[in-house]
Amino acid sequence: MNQYRQKYSLAQSGELAHRKSIPPSKLMVGHDFSQEFKDQPALDPHGDARQLVRLVQCRSCSKPLSAPVTLPCGHTTCRACLAPTRPRDNISYPNTPDRQYGITCKICDEEYPTVECSADVTLTKVMEVVKQTIARVQDTPEAPVCVLEEIPVSEDDVHDSNDEKELTSYQGHRKEFRGGRLHATFQMASDGELRYNSDVQYRASPSDAQIHAHLDAELFNGLREAAHSELDCLVCYNMMLDPTTLPCGHTFCRHCLVRVMDHSSICPICRAGIHIPPIAIQNYPSNGRLVALLKSLSPEHVQARVEALESEEDNSEGALSTPLFVCTLSLPNTPTFLHIFEPRYRLMMRRCMEGNRRFGMVMYNRSSAPQGDLGPTSFLQYGTMLEIINLELLPDGRSFVETRGVSRFRIKAYGQLDGYYVGNVERVDDVPIIEEEQLERQEVLEAQAWADAYVLENPQDPRTPENFPGLLSTDELFRRCIGFVEQMSQRSAPWLSSRIVNVYGPPPDNHKTFPFWFASVLPIAEEEKYRLLATTRVRERLLIVYSWIKRIEGQRWPSGNSCSIL
Amino acid sequence: MALPKRIIKETERLMNEPVPGISAVPHEDNLRYFDVTIDGPSQSPYEGGLFKLELFLPDDYPMTPPKIRFLTKIYHPNIDRLGRICLDVLKSNWSPALQIRTILLSIQALLGAPNPDDPLANDVAQKWKEDQNAAIETARQWTQEHAKP
Repeated sequence: MNQYRQKYSLAQSGELAHRKSIPPSKLMVGHDFSQEFKDQPALDPHGDARQLVRLVQCRSCSKPLSAPVTLPCGHTTCRACLAPTRPRDNISYPNTPDRQYGITCKICDEEYPTVECSADVTLTKVMEVVKQTIARVQDTPEAPVCVLEEIPVSEDDVHDSNDEKELTSYQGHRKEFRGGRLHATFQMASDGELRYNSDVQYRASPSDAQIHAHLDAELFNGLREAAHSELDCLVCYNMMLDPTTLPCGHTFCRHCLVRVMDHSSICPICRAGIHIPPIAIQNYPSNGRLVALLKSLSPEHVQARVEALESEEDNSEGALSTPLFVCTLSLPNTPTFLHIFEPRYRLMMRRCMEGNRRFGMVMYNRSSAPQGDLGPTSFLQYGTMLEIINLELLPDGRSFVETRGVSRFRIKAYGQLDGYYVGNVERVDDVPIIEEEQLERQEVLEAQAWADAYVLENPQDPRTPENFPGLLSTDELFRRCIGFVEQMSQRSAPWLSSRIVNVYGPPPDNHKTFPFWFASVLPIAEEEKYRLLATTRVRERLLIVYSWIKRIEGQRWPSGNSCSIL
Repeated sequence: MALPKRIIKETERLMNEPVPGISAVPHEDNLRYFDVTIDGPSQSPYEGGLFKLELFLPDDYPMTPPKIRFLTKIYHPNIDRLGRICLDVLKSNWSPALQIRTILLSIQALLGAPNPDDPLANDVAQKWKEDQNAAIETARQWTQEHAKP
């Protein structure tokens, strides 16, 4: 395993710069993104007609995108405008035919194997409906004429293109169309007479401009409606949020994709393998064109979507705010190590890392015994709040998590969230010291009185601290427990080996926490250790621990065998 | 917990544009639980039968597949005594791009094309392989007996 991880990190430091592991704060997507969308102004179909048309223009040929291909860098061009394929030298693995040739993105100069340069399915469909919708208003002879003049934006653009001669002819280039600005601009682009970077100056009489504005608004609404159904994510059925296009050409919301990859690494639509490590999906480039289209076509939908997602995440912080991990017994002040592989718990860990890094650990209810008001739940009602100290995300989405017990709790109510349990929990704490003292006094005196009465009836069988631990003071209980640990340590008990002490530390010189430490190192049934979680008094815990010690000694002494397993 | 948008949309579409021969109606008190009926496909031993199923959308649907079971007794090599269905898309081949509608269509298709080589009900599959005509006759009888509309 270690070897594998090392290899992976080597790969990271190399060319896969964009696939670097991500800081915990980035583990949950959606937040940085939502900021970007706050207060995004809508594009005005009349005033911003040029900008709107640019959204669907190819950067290479300047015509409306035809058979668009979105490369893994998130840049889009027409299929015909892709750079020619070139052999990828010095690459021998994986040696499949579809990876031997590469295409270089004309925008960012990154090279990708041909297999990762597929038709952008969503954009292709969007372009289809855009062209259809515009074709429907093709001939509007009654509409007033709109005069367009192309204005190249800057000298840089002129030098960018190699043929300056041709460009000079673009200076002051004019066209006339019947219809609104949006329609006319699109038409000009379709005819190949409007460069991607150029601006447009419109001329029309004020009364005509009014009619144009009306036509533009109408067309824009038509486009919006037509494109709307193509812009839904096929996983959540909502309008795409941060659309992310896989190398196979299918697009999903980024957060949907992240959740899909908790479960499998194939595209939900075409089942092509996704050869992107799950953790890298968070940093995988968005589909720039779709992001821009969504922003301008329906900023209010995008906004609503961002808010809905936020409130969805917030809802989980309502009454049932504690995620519950049903797995094992954890104890306060002691570490628990977890290997997260189940999809639902991957999601839980991501949410925890984004939030307060805490979750509740509860044991399975093996006997199906009723759990207080909860009834016979599949987990036990007392648990331990764990805090994530370290989370190591593996490239395939699993993770190793190091946690430490923070406090104990009892579950008051529970529900489910995306496959895992969540609960409303109440902290379990010890009673105040003053009460602890009073109860010790009361209990020891009662025990003494009971022992005295007992010996009167059974003179041959006196009750001593050895057979009746209730007689012992709290401190004496603690001393005896510590004494037992020291004794066992001298006998080199395997459960006190240096390896274990390294993990759990030496026995704490603390009456309050010692029982938890002892329980975490002692190899006895977890159900027995579980009794500690419900305790609210130090003395109560020490009595439980002492009863284990007596049982162990009882098992060991009669045999007198130094080779005992404990 | 609020019902995810996806389930609401799927339900609406199932109600407004039902698939011929298939119905799925959510329970009023639990919108994740559906009463399903599927007509036996024509030219199959299940023709003329109306099969009842129950369908439940688990909490992490659509990341995990819906849980579906036949309630009507059926003689089919890929459906066992308890009504459980052996169908790849309900298990390992599930994809979140599938939906209730497509899954129910797959089940209907499974009725039209039993696959005794991947059996769930071993005894039925055995019969199907040994004497297909007799097995089909039994399936027809069961349909008459248990799946009357």
